[in-house]
Amino acid sequence: MATRARVVRMETPVATPSGNALLVLVGLGVAFLLITALLGAAKSGGPLFNESNLLYVALIFYAGAGALYMGFGVTGVAKYVKFASVATAIGFTANTLAVAHRWYQAGRPPFASIYEMLLSFVWTVAALTLITEKKFGVKIIGSITMPLAVVCVILMQLLPSEVRPLVPALQSTWLHVHVTLAMLSYAACAVSFALAMMFLIKDHFPTETFLALTSALVSAIYIAVVATRFEKWGGLSVTAWDAKEKSDVFLGRGVRLFVTVPDLGWLFVMAAVASLIPLLFYFLARAQKNDAYYGLANKSIFIGVLLQVVVLAAFVLRVRDASYASPYQEGLYPTSLAASPFILGGLVTGVFASLLYMMLLWRRSDLEALLPSAETLDRVTYKTICIAFPLLTGMIAAGAYWANRTWGSYWSWDPKETWAAITWLVYAGYLHMRVTRGWRGRRAAYFAILGFGVVIFTFLGVTYLLPGLHAYA
Amino acid sequence: MVSDIVSIPKRFFKTLSNLRTGIVLLLLVVIASALGTFILQRPVTDTDKLQAAYSPATLRWLDRLSLTDVFHAWWFLTLLGLLSLSIIFVSIERFPNAWRSYARPYRKTDAHFRSGLQTKAELPIKNANDGLNAADRVLQKLHWPVERIIDGNQTSLYSERHRFSVMAVYVIHASLLLIFAGGIVDGLLGYSGYLMLRKGQTGNVIELRNGQKKVLPFAIKCYEAGQENYADGSPKKWWSKLAVVQDGKEIKAKEIVVNDPLVYRGLRFYQASYGPTGVEGVRVVATPTGGTAREVTLRLNEPVELDPSTTVTLAEFIPDFFIRDNQVFKRSDDVVNPAFRLQIKKAGSDQAATQWIFPAYNPVGQGQDADYRFEYRDLQMGYFTGLEVSHEPGQWLVWAGCVLMGVGLFVAFYMVHMRLWAVVVPDARGKLVLWVGGQANKNKDRFEQKFEEVVESIQQELDRASVAPRSAHKEEAELTLVAVK
Repeated sequence: MATRARVVRMETPVATPSGNALLVLVGLGVAFLLITALLGAAKSGGPLFNESNLLYVALIFYAGAGALYMGFGVTGVAKYVKFASVATAIGFTANTLAVAHRWYQAGRPPFASIYEMLLSFVWTVAALTLITEKKFGVKIIGSITMPLAVVCVILMQLLPSEVRPLVPALQSTWLHVHVTLAMLSYAACAVSFALAMMFLIKDHFPTETFLALTSALVSAIYIAVVATRFEKWGGLSVTAWDAKEKSDVFLGRGVRLFVTVPDLGWLFVMAAVASLIPLLFYFLARAQKNDAYYGLANKSIFIGVLLQVVVLAAFVLRVRDASYASPYQEGLYPTSLAASPFILGGLVTGVFASLLYMMLLWRRSDLEALLPSAETLDRVTYKTICIAFPLLTGMIAAGAYWANRTWGSYWSWDPKETWAAITWLVYAGYLHMRVTRGWRGRRAAYFAILGFGVVIFTFLGVTYLLPGLHAYA
Repeated sequence: MVSDIVSIPKRFFKTLSNLRTGIVLLLLVVIASALGTFILQRPVTDTDKLQAAYSPATLRWLDRLSLTDVFHAWWFLTLLGLLSLSIIFVSIERFPNAWRSYARPYRKTDAHFRSGLQTKAELPIKNANDGLNAADRVLQKLHWPVERIIDGNQTSLYSERHRFSVMAVYVIHASLLLIFAGGIVDGLLGYSGYLMLRKGQTGNVIELRNGQKKVLPFAIKCYEAGQENYADGSPKKWWSKLAVVQDGKEIKAKEIVVNDPLVYRGLRFYQASYGPTGVEGVRVVATPTGGTAREVTLRLNEPVELDPSTTVTLAEFIPDFFIRDNQVFKRSDDVVNPAFRLQIKKAGSDQAATQWIFPAYNPVGQGQDADYRFEYRDLQMGYFTGLEVSHEPGQWLVWAGCVLMGVGLFVAFYMVHMRLWAVVVPDARGKLVLWVGGQANKNKDRFEQKFEEVVESIQQELDRASVAPRSAHKEEAELTLVAVK
């Protein structure tokens, strides 16, 4: 590690004109959005300091922080990272106020719906980001956690957010114990994931493999959407939305009404194909041992990002508050972005993942210079998992105790329970491999990444894909 | 041949006590559990839904592999059993070594040990005794328990903290086994079922999950049950006033709500559901001609005495009626437009007078004259309370395991076994130095900081002692002397 070929560029004076231009731009953007929001709030006559406004402020600052991290990625100006950190801190403050406001308004901690859980999750992620940054010196961890926070806050803007009274089964102190532990441990897992990624960057993990992984993730998102939502003649089917009830339209119990947005399906197919192309080039390069294909792959990633942005824009424009025909029932039915939060979340995730890859591609040496040593990153990853694992255990135990008081059984192999146990087992495997087999570095990092994948599936995937008792979130 | 047969249990032990086997088993459990969440499971899915989801051939295969009930399949339970055995065997394999180093920690500071240690420092001193005493004082002041080790003619210091943390991993594994044991006990001895009671009803037969019935040695009586709603109409609270009745005596009474069950003799009764059983009757005001009005509740086919010579019976209830050809017919089962047929009977007469009440049009009964006027008040709805009954004798093992695991994890992750050694030796050039070494079993970077602080304090103490050398002899009496063979 000591003999690094690349020069650390941090030390050079950074007062280049382009360096300040982005700061000014992001600053202006943040200010503009804040003023627009303020005017909007003033015009609507509602209270200024309510939860949704605060959350919006948090979103603006998180996005600003994300933009600055990206800006650092493009220009390599280290000053951006400092400002990004400040933006994160401001966003975190607004986020804290939003949580507090909701808590005050509901008279209970905000843990009762997927919306409230995301609120707490984002808060914890931001808190841990700041801690990791300050305490362990992992300065650019925000470049992974902030986009995650932005995706979550965007999702939250679309999910039903009104304060609902608690159904009888949720009226328990154990709800708060269980969910607090869950959010803390999930957020710790998210941070360990980000740290493991940082470790791979610092550990000279080949950029080409990151390319393949990014391409695989993005194509997985698009293929999943196309596989489940592509309709005949190129349409994309989305859930119909009842604006008055603020909920999906149901035909029967648990059966949603879908409407078809014409032509959007083809766009998704194109994006899916485009996101597969870099992966193909990657395999070609591997198979023919010809590095020239990597250049093509990187070019096609760039084109892929542009196409993804087009898809995102088209999706937002076409799905936002419009009415379409349904293949299942006659007539036109309105839909809304709120009816498809997960497609939107997937699209935004894809764009962020690709942008992060491009940042890595262009600014790898600067990124590496900003990171602490690989050993430190490895150790801090392990430490975060050492925090996450007991919390995870406590979360499962509290959940079991609560289930025993409510459903009459402490363990019923409900999908959520089962997946929580799977998460626990994966991390238990990580700890065993590390402590007794001496797994360090890459293999440990893969495990940490896999663990977070399982966490995401447990948190969001199970709720939306697998039926079960755990219906609240 | 014989040795082969003898070695089978040995090989079994050897395979299972290998950590790699344990990890493979863990992986298999993960995969099986994941399958169990992706494939619809029979115990929690209606048969129609299963048949709609899979083709008959697929379903037959899934059933044959018991993939439709993974969590109760013999192979899944076997996997869990093997995993438990693996945990036990791995622990057995590793425990003796761990116990040896726990029970008899290495306290000596021979040259070989000193050279192998990673974290160490050498401080120049003038006098052997002063150096050791200075280290001793510093450690005492920092609350490190100090032992003085005499090995031949060499005296050294040994100090350690949180030695028990090296055993925490066994506590965690034992707690996991305790939880499994609880699960096994409940699987063998536990049962759970359902008891539905109407208001005022007493019942002692519960319907088990597998469809069988079980008779309890006591009965549960439901006095009252109800629901409270939020302003928006969503349910806020379900409650039931229950009592345990045995041999006609009420033994225990409790009002239960959703998160607070009634517990009696290891059986727990949970509020699981609450709902209407349907219309049970109607409340009417009966006014005799020239007499005073009286409110009565009429239930289907249950005669009610109005006066010694007159009874009234609710003979028919139609939830949603229509009239055609002067006849009353039922339109639907929804209680939207009810009609009631009353029969009024005089004592000693076979004839009964019939009156109809159609509350939507006229609350007063119409029909044959019966010296009484009936006026509709309201419907009497019947409600049931659904009680989940469960007997889980193993749950206490589970909770004990959870608590133990919490303690074990805390100790294992956050308490560090730290050791310090100090001895006076000549350094490479033959000068007298105080050699200080340290070791921690985890969190090594933090420990190194701590170690440096300790070394710095010792250095300061040495500097101070060289200024005022008298104080050295006093503390010696307080030391513990431990001889090492």
